[in-house]
Amino acid sequence: MQLLAWIVRGISTINRVAGETLSWLALACVLVCFTVVVQRYVFSTSVLWMQDLYVWLSGAMFTGVAGFALLRDDHVRVDIFYRPASTRWKAIADLFGVVVFLLPFIYVVLTYGWPAIARSWSYQEASGNVGGMPGLFVLKSFIIVFAVLVGLQGIAMACRAILVLTGQQDLLPAHLRYVNNEEAETAP
Amino acid sequence: MSAVLIGEILACLMFVGVIGVLLIGFPVAFSLAGTALIFGVVGWLMGVYDPSNYASIIGRYIGLMSSETLVAVPLFVFMGVMLERSGIAERLLLTMGKLFGNLRGGLGISVIIVGAMLAASTGVVGATVVTMGLISLPAMLRAGYDPKLATGVICASGTLGQIIPPSTVLIFMGDMLAGINAQVQMEKGNFAPEPVSVGALFAGALLPGMMLVGLYLCWVIYKAITDPASAPATPVPEDEKKHLAREVMVALVPPLLLIIAVLGSILGGIATPTEAASVGSVGAMVLAIANRKFTFSILRQAVISTATITSMVFIILFGAAVFSVVFRMMGGDNLVHAFLSNMPGGAIGATIIVMLIMFMLGFILDTFEIIFIVIPITAPVLLTLGVDPIWLGVMVGVNLQTSFLTPPFGFALFYLRGVAPPQVSTGMIYRGVIPFVLLQVVGLALLFMFPQLVTWLPELLYH
Amino acid sequence: QDVYNWRMVTTWPKNFPGLGVGAQKLADRITNASGGRLNVQVFASGEMVPGLQALDAVIDGSAEMSHGAAYYWQNKSQALSFFTGVPYGMTSRELASWVRYLGGQEQWDKIYDQFGLKGYLSGDTGTQAGGWFKNELTGVADVQGLRFRTPGLGGQVWAKLGASVTNMAAGEIFAALQSGTLDAAEFVGPYNDLALGFYQVAKNYYFPSFVEPGLATELVVNKSKLAELPPDLQELVSVCAQASYDDVASDMYANDPRALRSLVDDHGVQVRAFPDEILEAGAKASMEVIAEIREGGDALTKETAESFISAFNLLRERTEGTDAPFLTARQKYIKY
Ligand code: NA
Ligand code: NA
Repeated sequence: MQLLAWIVRGISTINRVAGETLSWLALACVLVCFTVVVQRYVFSTSVLWMQDLYVWLSGAMFTGVAGFALLRDDHVRVDIFYRPASTRWKAIADLFGVVVFLLPFIYVVLTYGWPAIARSWSYQEASGNVGGMPGLFVLKSFIIVFAVLVGLQGIAMACRAILVLTGQQDLLPAHLRYVNNEEAETAP
Repeated sequence: MSAVLIGEILACLMFVGVIGVLLIGFPVAFSLAGTALIFGVVGWLMGVYDPSNYASIIGRYIGLMSSETLVAVPLFVFMGVMLERSGIAERLLLTMGKLFGNLRGGLGISVIIVGAMLAASTGVVGATVVTMGLISLPAMLRAGYDPKLATGVICASGTLGQIIPPSTVLIFMGDMLAGINAQVQMEKGNFAPEPVSVGALFAGALLPGMMLVGLYLCWVIYKAITDPASAPATPVPEDEKKHLAREVMVALVPPLLLIIAVLGSILGGIATPTEAASVGSVGAMVLAIANRKFTFSILRQAVISTATITSMVFIILFGAAVFSVVFRMMGGDNLVHAFLSNMPGGAIGATIIVMLIMFMLGFILDTFEIIFIVIPITAPVLLTLGVDPIWLGVMVGVNLQTSFLTPPFGFALFYLRGVAPPQVSTGMIYRGVIPFVLLQVVGLALLFMFPQLVTWLPELLYH
Repeated sequence: QDVYNWRMVTTWPKNFPGLGVGAQKLADRITNASGGRLNVQVFASGEMVPGLQALDAVIDGSAEMSHGAAYYWQNKSQALSFFTGVPYGMTSRELASWVRYLGGQEQWDKIYDQFGLKGYLSGDTGTQAGGWFKNELTGVADVQGLRFRTPGLGGQVWAKLGASVTNMAAGEIFAALQSGTLDAAEFVGPYNDLALGFYQVAKNYYFPSFVEPGLATELVVNKSKLAELPPDLQELVSVCAQASYDDVASDMYANDPRALRSLVDDHGVQVRAFPDEILEAGAKASMEVIAEIREGGDALTKETAESFISAFNLLRERTEGTDAPFLTARQKYIKY
């Protein structure tokens, strides 16, 4: 059981680091897009690859932080029954959801995404826009990053649920346990 | 049984089944995808679904990652998060409260006006309710307001952000409706359709948003007149009035500048929503700097909020894409088409039924889930029947804004519950919001009877 | 008898004049001519995958065939641009001659073999319109800083002339022109452009597009799926594609002038020709762009460029020696 607790901690740390780092792409996206606007409206020029860059920064950001969002429980739930439920029921719902919904979804994404993304690497795919960014294969690879990070976090959720169901949630640090207050941390 | 029939039965079961599945409370994005995959396997075993269709979800997601239009979403979220931390809302609430305080119902009026201004300067719902709940609710309670009226006004005004542009919901809706409309019009042989764009949808939503503001104001004024005890005046001390004019200027100018810069440049046709959003984001940072609120820690929180909120929405869209691939390829689209095309009352009947379904779904689901599932399968039929795309988008926007307010699971109610003082019971919040839910229904009815409220401005600006 | 149910994804909206209609007609033709043995269902752009993911959908197997334009995939191989059309390049008649008789198809097969695909010509717009400009152009100076929507290699040519070039989806062009985000935009030709309503916001309609002397569409089939078909159905796909190539061009040639009449008579559009200065500078820029592809690409791209250029030099002898003088004379002397 100690092993499960270590898995939860390890995976959560990976996603926290990845998420907090990739979140900064949001600022990069703002700044690049603003630069494009200034170039277009103030200087009447355009740099074609920059028109791709801010779009890609945004796509990489929201794809890469999905596992982190799952760690933070930011992925919205229909919580009519979930919210008032006991910690035990929450654990059962999460365990069920990870095994029946999340992991199959990740499996499908990897199965169908892998060949497409490997191919993209094989010819170093660039933007479809003439004069656009090189390295579209890097952006596409974020789909694999998504699948791995979300899949791992799903496994962490399942491990946590098992700890709860076996009455050993206290092996986890407080911030990784189920919370029982009513605060919603973020907004849609 | 024919393969077509089996497929359609499965599609039907899938639509109903997913609602049951969502009630388990597992994150929506994964529940949608997972349910679709299960039905895909069943369909495959029964010979009505080809699993190779799954390969298309990768292409769809890559399309989302490289969509220029949808970059407006993280940009507007960033702008909203940054504004929330810049102290604008607090300052506006305090000064507007003083400005209208001497009137009966004045605090309520100021909450509505501030809610409308914040709505017009950001694209996200949520933070506004919390801010107003923290600042205005205690003030209104101290002044002796009926807690039901106070909480209702705050919840309703706080959700205006969804319908008053800019709005992330309208961005997604504009993006979807633009594509669907192009398809439908070509199919009908209309090669010169009026273009649908996010900008046009913003223009269409402006007057209806202001109409809702007007309805809320009327309600507060009505209460102040017929039931003065529920909305008393809060006399402002003389010494606080001295610098009021200056304070009002200081509080009003920054948000007004942002509204003019962002909304003005979109509606005035100077910039695309994405371009305007980047300007707004930089503007929000400038305001935060001016208010001495721009620290590394705040910037860090802002980027994390932006990234996770955006991710949450796009991953729902990913899950919904899996859902709609399976639903479509099993013949669900044909079924919906047949169902809606045969509604009594034609386009009107079909629109009413879709609106009712969305309204009902709004009791349990949120805006994003509803539009990502319902719009792709119903809008093509409605537009084929001749429904105006912009009008449809705005109707859906107002309809789903209500889902934030409908007890027992409206999001705005939760936010307010989280920050309301203990003497305000959940029951009071639920009862307080009922008149505003009815006002939303009145608003929808008005838009139904006078579609020009929606179509007039886009026609003026874009034709 | 085996029945094959195939999915065709396209890069066009359903029933999009000329091109989208062409895709649907081609699918119907295959279905009907095979007596329903090869049953092709069409998915418009966005229905199954976004338009620009259509080719990947065929490679990955979520569709058996795609209908689009090869230059959308220039990020897979730069050489693919030649099979749609390049600035100051071949007319639709010349392109078909290169592909069918002068080594074009062999080059194309080499490129698509890498992805397990087979390409067929499946339609052509003929020479396109040069674009919609809010202001009249008097020379190259007017192009400086001009915010112009024009994609692909044509965009690169205009960028070399000094324009600030962007690409945006068909549905966004109108609003951008109207708002002033764009000063000019080009799309296809009168038949399609009438549909998008550009005449409401830009009145100067320039002809011809020297950067798009034709736009060939392609039908791309997954080779392993193709190999599963009996020989007669394989042949049928090829023949139907060839028939479509001819049919789409006929549709465009028949409807473009009708649409243009309507634009001029009903909507007050000014039809203009580009000043010689722009045509000449555009030609110089076009040669630079082609040279860059030829020198900058991989071996296959270089080989394709050489094949194209040598065929071009041969074909122009006939077109410019026979067709052009005939057209000049016809224009000058014939009147009914
Ligand atoms: Na808003
Ligand atoms: Na063109």
